[in-house]
Amino acid sequence: MIDYLVSILTEGAIFAILALGLNIVWGWSGDFDLAYYGYVALGAYMTMVLTIGKATAPTEYILGLTLPFPVAVILATISAMLLALIVGAIALRHLRGIYFSIVTLGAVYVLYIFASQFVPLFNGYNGLSGLFDPMGDFFGLDFTTYPYFYLGVCVLVLVIVVVGVTRLNGSRFGLALRSLREDERAAAVFGRDIYLMKLKAYVLGAGIGGLGGGLFAGYLSAFNPSAWSPVETIILYAAILVGGRGSTRGVVLGVAVMVLGLQEATRYLPEFAGHPTFAPALRLILTGIVLVLFIRFRPQGLLPERRMRDKDPTGKGGVAVAVEQPIVGPALDTGVA
Amino acid sequence: MHQALLTLGFGLVAAAILALSALAFTLEYSVTNVANLSHGEILTVGAYCAYLVQQHGGGVILSAVAAAAGGGALALAVHNGVVDRFVRKGIGGLPTFIATLGVSLVIQNILVIIFGASNLGYPVPQGPPRNIGPFLWTDTEIQIIVSAVAIAALLYVIIQHTRFGKSLRAVSQNRSLASVSGINAHRVAALTWLLAGLIAGYAGFILAESVGTFSPYSGFTFFLITLTAAVAGGLGNAWGTLVGGVIVGIALEFFGGYVSASYNLAFAFAILSLVILVRPRGLFVGGRRSVFE
Amino acid sequence: MTALLEVHDLHKHFGGVQAVTACSFTAAEGQITGLIGPNGAGKSTAIDLISGFKLPDSGTVVFEGDQVQGKAPHRISRMGLIRTFQTPREWPSLTVLENLILACFNARREGFWRSLRGPTRAEKKRAQEELNRARAVLEEFGLLELRNERAGNLSGGQKRLLEFARIRMAEPRLVILDEPMGGVNPVLGERMATAVLAFITAGTSVIIVEHNLPFIERVTDQVVVMAEGTVIAEGPFDQLRNNQAVVDAYLGEMPSYDDADA
Repeated sequence: MIDYLVSILTEGAIFAILALGLNIVWGWSGDFDLAYYGYVALGAYMTMVLTIGKATAPTEYILGLTLPFPVAVILATISAMLLALIVGAIALRHLRGIYFSIVTLGAVYVLYIFASQFVPLFNGYNGLSGLFDPMGDFFGLDFTTYPYFYLGVCVLVLVIVVVGVTRLNGSRFGLALRSLREDERAAAVFGRDIYLMKLKAYVLGAGIGGLGGGLFAGYLSAFNPSAWSPVETIILYAAILVGGRGSTRGVVLGVAVMVLGLQEATRYLPEFAGHPTFAPALRLILTGIVLVLFIRFRPQGLLPERRMRDKDPTGKGGVAVAVEQPIVGPALDTGVA
Repeated sequence: MHQALLTLGFGLVAAAILALSALAFTLEYSVTNVANLSHGEILTVGAYCAYLVQQHGGGVILSAVAAAAGGGALALAVHNGVVDRFVRKGIGGLPTFIATLGVSLVIQNILVIIFGASNLGYPVPQGPPRNIGPFLWTDTEIQIIVSAVAIAALLYVIIQHTRFGKSLRAVSQNRSLASVSGINAHRVAALTWLLAGLIAGYAGFILAESVGTFSPYSGFTFFLITLTAAVAGGLGNAWGTLVGGVIVGIALEFFGGYVSASYNLAFAFAILSLVILVRPRGLFVGGRRSVFE
Repeated sequence: MTALLEVHDLHKHFGGVQAVTACSFTAAEGQITGLIGPNGAGKSTAIDLISGFKLPDSGTVVFEGDQVQGKAPHRISRMGLIRTFQTPREWPSLTVLENLILACFNARREGFWRSLRGPTRAEKKRAQEELNRARAVLEEFGLLELRNERAGNLSGGQKRLLEFARIRMAEPRLVILDEPMGGVNPVLGERMATAVLAFITAGTSVIIVEHNLPFIERVTDQVVVMAEGTVIAEGPFDQLRNNQAVVDAYLGEMPSYDDADA
């Protein structure tokens, strides 16, 4: 029971990291990027080929080093960012809206196909395995205590990401990025280099995704095309949408509800013989339904993005900018003409 | 040269299916301004409806009708249940696009629950290949090409020479203007989606016939290629889409023949990305679209 | 009077239509220059060409001595030229106050690393001063009570005022107002005239594209008249009333401020 709890919390922490990265691209910058899971996957793959050592026939893959896990994850993150730089540089130059989304969908499918078909890359459909208990030996842990350790690692990384993201969110960078989301022309008129800023956000988000991917590989000990598909991105989007697009707390809540909560809610469903895919399929159906409902009726999510609120009563200054409060929903009736 | 012609022949089969699917998608887009990401599922459902008929002893014709009917019903349901509500509320293209992604997820997985995730095949045999000029086709493949041409021609007649077609064109060009002129845009859109669904459902059937097997995910994978053809031809531009479908279908066959069939999708997306980057509005529509132009 | 903006021989065509032909005019520093003309005269296209939103086929635009034609909009903005659009373009989900704060662009402050490490005490002080200035500007435009409102919730007239407030905040060298009176209550017009004149006092020169000729007559020092893609006359408003070409372009008389109501 405890094992299960540890396992699910670890997964939750990793998905929260992934969602926070995607939130930067979609929530802050406003780009519906369908290639995101590709960066996550690349982070996972690269972490593996940098830690599991040389390939032994019939397995084939590139590199094959035995670097320490933290180093591998960092390098994997960088590689995800490089891929994002290439895709983003092309896609963000002129495209917006559905055209941007379609091109990114294409990019991730190309990656998926190459990862599945081109065996010398990441061993095709069979994928990679053998990343057992990273850093376990270093800390002298056995297999019973290791899961707690890894949970701690993931939560630590999550906390670091949350701190960094929150800081960026409240900064000028975060605010300026929002202006791109709201109205690009106006943002350009006030001096913002739209292409550059969006590209920065895109690469940053992908980096966080790659980081999460690396942790994901450590959690699964293995990684292959069945562990990811381009459709997984939609689960992250559902989580962000439900929790609160653009809001850090919202995104974490969204992951708790849509990933953990949904998993728990469907765990006790009977498994029909011959239908092992029932529960996962049901989860995806619920995800899809929730997605449509929220987009229609509550697009700002359960915990909407908080905007700066100036509480100085005199409005004459002299006091530092005060506490943030949520500004929720439709038109506020202030009686001002 | 002989090999090239053979490949061309096979390419025409793929082109036929692709053209129908892309035409249906373009119809959907033209009257609602929504890129329907659940379009692939209409094909899948069509394939499954035909399968059910065949399981109960029905022949090819009955299967085809069932496929079209299933596709039409689904398209109508998606339009009236989801898309039209978004359009009425004035919700823009991108959020509705996202919503159709959710719809796609739901339909795919309902099929997984009912039929399971694995591949199924049709019990109906294809027939022996015959020589028709320089091409080599089975009876089924001939049926596919002939029916595709017939449907495209019928669609042309409907759009150009009927009152409904006129309303369709009016709504696709300027929906609010059409409404003000007395056309019930919602009804026209619903009927157009029904029509698109009939075509797409049938396309799903012939796709399954052509490939041999299908699964709940077949339609979506094929849809990605459909998207290539539709965007290359110009979203909302029926003629361009038709030509786009034919070109992409033939190109893919050559690519698959001379390189490797498994990378078909990758190749299709390479084409798609190239087209979007160079001419976002499609090959047959004028002008490059920069972010500000 | 030094010329702040010089437009030389601009040309732009779309498909078969020649939108702007041999368009040349100057806007002097410290002045309010009007840009008027009947519909389809090419005024908006000219503005797009000057502000970088469209690429001219040929011709030059010189702003403060530097050539800017063909430059990206954000580069031109950073040089001190800001424009508005025919419909108000606020950032709807952000508050009114945030809209104002964003009006001041500072590359260093918006940098990624700088934002990650957080502001120094000196930077915090500067941010506070900026906040105070934003509040003052909002008060000047009567928007202070709305400072925490979602900008998208404002009425049309309030959004126009917000745009003006943003420009006041940004303190550009030149602002081009694209039909600021469009869809605005005439009562607000007086407030706008005041705001426009206040720009000059603050060191911002103004070009106004407008159809509301009484307003133009009221505020401008110099007027440029365009018709069919080219400039047909330049001069003070009064002179233009007697200019035959201008009168022809408007098919008759040009209404006077004195004749107008309110």
